[in-house]
Amino acid sequence: MKGWTGNILRVNLSNKTFRKETYGEDFATKWVGGRGFALKILWDELKPGIDPLGPENKLIVALGPLAGIPAPNTGKTVVAAKSPLTGGYGDGNLGSRMTEQLRKAGYDALIVEGAAEKPTYLYIEDDKVEFLPALEVWGKGTYDTNDWFYKKYGRGVGLLTIGPGGENKVLYAMVRSMEGRAGGRPGIGAVMGSKNLKAIVAKGTKEIPVADPEGIREVGLGDLKKVGELDKRTGWSKQGTTGVLAWCNEVAALPVRNMRKTFHPDAWKIDGERLNAARIATYGCPNCTMRCGITIRDHEGHEAEMDYENIGMLGADLEIFELDQVGSLNYLCDDLGLDAISAGAVLAFYADAIDHGAIDGDFHFGDAEKAKDLLKLIARREGVGNFLADGTMRMAEKIGKGSSSYAMHVKGLEISAYNCKFIPGMALAYGTSPIGAHHKESWVITFEIMHTTRESYGREKAEKVIELQRIRGGLFEYLPACRFPWVELGWGLEHYPVYFNRITGLNWTLEDFWKISDRIYALMKFFWAREFPDWDRTRDYPPMAWFDPSNADKEGIIAGKVLELDKYNQLLDHYYDIRGWDKRGIPTRKTAKDLGLEEEAREVEKFVRLE
Amino acid sequence: MKVTVKLIGHLIQKVGFSEKDVEISPGATVSQLIESLGIPGNSPMIITVGGQGVPPEHPLKEGDRLVISHVYSGG
Repeated sequence: MKGWTGNILRVNLSNKTFRKETYGEDFATKWVGGRGFALKILWDELKPGIDPLGPENKLIVALGPLAGIPAPNTGKTVVAAKSPLTGGYGDGNLGSRMTEQLRKAGYDALIVEGAAEKPTYLYIEDDKVEFLPALEVWGKGTYDTNDWFYKKYGRGVGLLTIGPGGENKVLYAMVRSMEGRAGGRPGIGAVMGSKNLKAIVAKGTKEIPVADPEGIREVGLGDLKKVGELDKRTGWSKQGTTGVLAWCNEVAALPVRNMRKTFHPDAWKIDGERLNAARIATYGCPNCTMRCGITIRDHEGHEAEMDYENIGMLGADLEIFELDQVGSLNYLCDDLGLDAISAGAVLAFYADAIDHGAIDGDFHFGDAEKAKDLLKLIARREGVGNFLADGTMRMAEKIGKGSSSYAMHVKGLEISAYNCKFIPGMALAYGTSPIGAHHKESWVITFEIMHTTRESYGREKAEKVIELQRIRGGLFEYLPACRFPWVELGWGLEHYPVYFNRITGLNWTLEDFWKISDRIYALMKFFWAREFPDWDRTRDYPPMAWFDPSNADKEGIIAGKVLELDKYNQLLDHYYDIRGWDKRGIPTRKTAKDLGLEEEAREVEKFVRLE
Repeated sequence: MKVTVKLIGHLIQKVGFSEKDVEISPGATVSQLIESLGIPGNSPMIITVGGQGVPPEHPLKEGDRLVISHVYSGG
């Protein structure tokens, strides 16, 4: 078997043991890597109903055939676990030197079990694994933590760390890697914290097995260069992802005031043009020639690495339009190890609930200084921070008074920075995202606005959501690789089977990949259904605020318009029908069989009947 | 007649302005306006009026606000 190391490293923190396990070609070609590996391992090894913050949960670091290979944007690592935020399957990807180093150490995945008695970090070097004390860095922010490890091991090592947010089990704590890079929105950092695991360090000296080393080097390095040239020619990285803020503001899709509004006259103050002008540095992931990490000086003088989601949720959604202050909130989230999207949504929901008299408090939209104080309290779970650390779904359950209708999450994961009050297809993308509301799975909004009638709930929108999920939530998550060359520069998908086939020696087409994607999406839904046997389609609904006519914009291009629930249900029916899922949104027995999931179907039927 | 053109993202550097009012002849289409502004057509673009995509042959009206953007993924 070429293209995969065939090895998984299993580490147990409770008894400080480890062992190298092997897997065969059947597993490799059925699940490929990244999200596929992580999902299958968690499905097989986790008992349903376990406490996500208990030692029974497992942290997975998963790579795949493209990981760390010199080819366009292959620096991605997938981190996964049962999510403490949602109770379902949770994962995320982040650019990291871990990608290459862990593969060079000889592994395609790492399984971390149990929990350490005291703060610990793992040091992995080829066949050696050490369990080392992390007391010296416990409590430190991720920037100081990373510096501590860089000083000890050099900047070239693979490094995954958590901040105080993860240590204190904030339910939306992230995993950090290198400059500005973070991943694992559904609380994967909290899972690390629950295991007393401050960091994972990896260093490898082996060759990554590849079927055609010369062939992949030639095409991979050549294409890396071409992607860089394409970026220079188009000028995309001048604003990177942040350019989208001005666009969302123009098409009434910007999150403003806990998504109560869809645009704001001051949005220009924090847009990509202003960010590019304020830029002091640019960071990117390994194996990337279109670096998107625009870095500015924040209000306190730190370097803050920004992207669209962060300025959307920590700026516009909080009605904070001072760029350096948005930078400060961004920096704090990164340093404290909090997901900036969920943190922004949590603060916006808190301010909204106070505004509506549902809860007492002294935080209001536009108050950057108070927002900073709250982020610090959240990370330490002190005072009101303990309440805010559990995310919008649980906050709304505690507040009551109808607040769940404007707690902006799906399945417990906060909605990222696209306000879909009147964008049905994108609302469907959030509703059906398999980890809770995340734009990474299916960013259908531009297709919807460019090629369809905005108010339509037609089948073509469900078809496009699924097509994008196969590519974005499928292919790029299990190869794994960054989607940006394709998405932002139009780098053709046809390149990816070429890389894959030269690496593995197989002869796959894109059609082969789509079947893998569908298999993974079906198993993710089984994971949820096994955890929540009373599963029904309402869990694939976006928040009711988007359907509430009293919440419609009072002015602007979508004044008076909101989503319609009966039509959203029609759209959901189209989606389920195309996927071969039943009316509850669970794959049918036939679909499971067609996707090679008979064994998994038998397991899920112990909990929920399949149609 | 007068329309407003709003450029998004790197098109600003390419074309040299972020937003401006433009005088065009009545009935001019989106593609005619784009050509007259020297906007490069070598990358996929999304063009909207009133928050809805419009094709190149779409005729413009007095007071339209035309938003022209590269196709973004948004992070």
